[in-house]
Amino acid sequence: MRYRALSDVRVVDLTHFIAGSYATKLLADMGADVIKVEPPWGEGGRKLGPHRAGNRDRGALFAFLNLNKRGVTLNLKHDRGRELAAGLLDGADLLVENFAPGTLAALGLAPDEMIAKFPRLSIVSISNFGQDGPERDGKLNDLVLFARGGWTFPVGEPDREPLTPPDSLAQYVGALYGAVAAMQALAARDLGLGHGQHIDVSILEATVATMIYETVTFQYTGIVRRREGKRYAVGPFLIVTLNCKDGYAGLHCVTDKQFEGLCDLMGRRELASDPRFNTALNRMLNNNALLEIVEAFFIGRERNWLYREGQRRAIPLVPIPSVVEVLEWEQTKARNYFETIDDPVLGTIRVPGTPLRLTSHRGEASRPAPQLGEHNREIFGGRLGLSDSAIDALEKAGTI
Amino acid sequence: MKTIFDGKVRVLDISMGWAGPLAGQMFAEMGAEVIKVEDTHHFDWWRGSLSMAPPEMRPIERSAVFNTVNRGKRGVTLDLASVRGIEILKRLVNVSDILVENFSPGVIDRLGLGYESVSAINPRLIMISMPSFGNDGPECNTRGYGNTVEAMAGVTGLTGYHDGGGQRYTLSNALGDPVGGLHGVFALMVAMRERERTGRGQLIELAQVEALIPFVADAILEYQFTGKVPAARGNRHRAHAPHGIYRCAGDDNWIALACDTDDQWRSLAGALGMERIAADPRFAGASARKANEDALDAELSRAIAHLDADDCLARIRDAGVLAAPVNPAPAVMADPQIQSRVYFVAIDRAVVGTHLYPGAVARIPDNPLRADVPAPMLGEHNRQVFAEMLGMTDGEIAELERIGVIGSSPRQYRSAS
Repeated sequence: MRYRALSDVRVVDLTHFIAGSYATKLLADMGADVIKVEPPWGEGGRKLGPHRAGNRDRGALFAFLNLNKRGVTLNLKHDRGRELAAGLLDGADLLVENFAPGTLAALGLAPDEMIAKFPRLSIVSISNFGQDGPERDGKLNDLVLFARGGWTFPVGEPDREPLTPPDSLAQYVGALYGAVAAMQALAARDLGLGHGQHIDVSILEATVATMIYETVTFQYTGIVRRREGKRYAVGPFLIVTLNCKDGYAGLHCVTDKQFEGLCDLMGRRELASDPRFNTALNRMLNNNALLEIVEAFFIGRERNWLYREGQRRAIPLVPIPSVVEVLEWEQTKARNYFETIDDPVLGTIRVPGTPLRLTSHRGEASRPAPQLGEHNREIFGGRLGLSDSAIDALEKAGTI
Repeated sequence: MKTIFDGKVRVLDISMGWAGPLAGQMFAEMGAEVIKVEDTHHFDWWRGSLSMAPPEMRPIERSAVFNTVNRGKRGVTLDLASVRGIEILKRLVNVSDILVENFSPGVIDRLGLGYESVSAINPRLIMISMPSFGNDGPECNTRGYGNTVEAMAGVTGLTGYHDGGGQRYTLSNALGDPVGGLHGVFALMVAMRERERTGRGQLIELAQVEALIPFVADAILEYQFTGKVPAARGNRHRAHAPHGIYRCAGDDNWIALACDTDDQWRSLAGALGMERIAADPRFAGASARKANEDALDAELSRAIAHLDADDCLARIRDAGVLAAPVNPAPAVMADPQIQSRVYFVAIDRAVVGTHLYPGAVARIPDNPLRADVPAPMLGEHNRQVFAEMLGMTDGEIAELERIGVIGSSPRQYRSAS
């Protein structure tokens, strides 16, 4: 889904893989004119996600991360390629990039020089570790990032190795901070300074930013949270993933009212006044005993029954769905959340829609992700005024 | 240096927990004036429970998480069950730019503060509504908190050991909350920019679960291509091995490491004195290692278990292999890169004293974000806000306090929890 709220914002998108591409997707979904600039051989992220047999060059995750963008190719190692990149930056509001720090400067597109040359341009750099510090050139993958950023240590069985979170969740958090930074750059320019800035976003810091339960709480209490298996923690609450008759359910029982509801659900109203459980503090002190009672109840029930009966009592209690059930969930269907894309290579795919529902504009259908160099003629001809023969020559030289 | 908003934007934050308050906090970082409104009957539940400590300990001023996501705000209280309280809130709406709410669907309308009402008072107002599952749809009334939102987004269904027999785990950070808050800030910034052009505010609806689902897009797409429900992979990679977490010497010390290529595997084996293993045909080539991953992990575990974590990491990294310690919170804060960039900021907060809090992520050279202003105590700024913003006299404020429309002591309230 695409809105037109940012239709006056021009973005040059030098991102690749997930953290950069999702940041510019958020801008593109809000209607920004995002031109994705890739090397003539395509960015590495083109292969991300599942493929159709016989075509490994366009992964479905790429097709999702680059919706609503237009795509051109440029070899930035060619002098002419850099000139054309500068041509795109002239008049642009934002350059978003996630190269290794120093890469732009090495390509002759140093951020400070670009901003001096194009004063209304802001540059958002999203990188693993930030633009400075002893490890600014370091590499990361999801496993290592989660471990280092603190997400992994408290999760899993106490007698086993810590359990890493799934997929690339933290890369997306980095992307969000990048997208917010892009809006901050525009606000700073338009409300005050009149000129752009170079903003530095570290994915590691974005990852750590979400760990406030650990980093701040441990200073207050002196307690470092450790793995408690299915329980989120032993605390004045019961936050736990429970085995049911037909799968798992998630319970988030925190307040007195929720606990009273849980007792009622189990047909054990007397537990609410039981001296072991009658206050939040006592529920923490007797957390193991409480867990045993709840486990024994859940194991004999179906998760959808628990969901229905729990919600009826205002308990945050949900079945734990697979992604397939999320895709087929009545709630996402009723809200037309997933969007069907007719991708030129992958065919019909269903992708998550934009979570932001603006009332100022009607949402429009998304434009599929660009094929490699799909908009070369449109952009280099239309925006930079190159003739067809000049574009042919660039193609022949391998610049585009 | 000036902040982006330089005190010229006012945010009315009537949200609770994490997602909504984070949006407010990030506006405070940008220099907006953020008024945190708490109900005199139901103070922000993230303050915790009054039962956790005796009243003289002021337990609800000791919540680490509340004190983190409400930094830089001014705190006021209002009895939202009273006509006077709502009337005062509407006067605050009249002088604000943004209203942030994350009540359950329908609550804001029952309070008489639905978008139609508030936009009639102030057409320039931008309102963001952040329900967990949306304001409509058959299951919009599902009670959602961080980890239930995480579950319904499909994240929990993917979180488990590769050999864990289906047991699922909650993430360590209630990811749905900060992700909802970040989307909220982004959306509000878009709407602010639009208001500059049109002069009009608007309503934004953000269902927190819908903000988190894109993070598992890969698995959702995988199903569409394979017809199979993606399995939890635990610490393993779909194609490469080794890719896991291994115990080192000492108490609960672990390292994560990953090899993408044969060269990296040979370097790793060399660095760990495992040349014999590297020559083992079971581990020659990516597909062989993947097929024999249990045996590979057993060999690696044996080689690493007696090593000091720091030494081991240094050896592995020198060999050009990706690795990191599995950091508990104190180690995250002591991380050399985090320290070098001075990410955490020290703040002295009433009742609890000085602690380090996560700083602002975006480094904006000419308009640095400000993350170093403490969170308010309950009703701390009642006098200041109602006098400055609404022109109330001392007498009027004292009267409101006497009749319980405002207040700063939890003793007079029914606890929310």
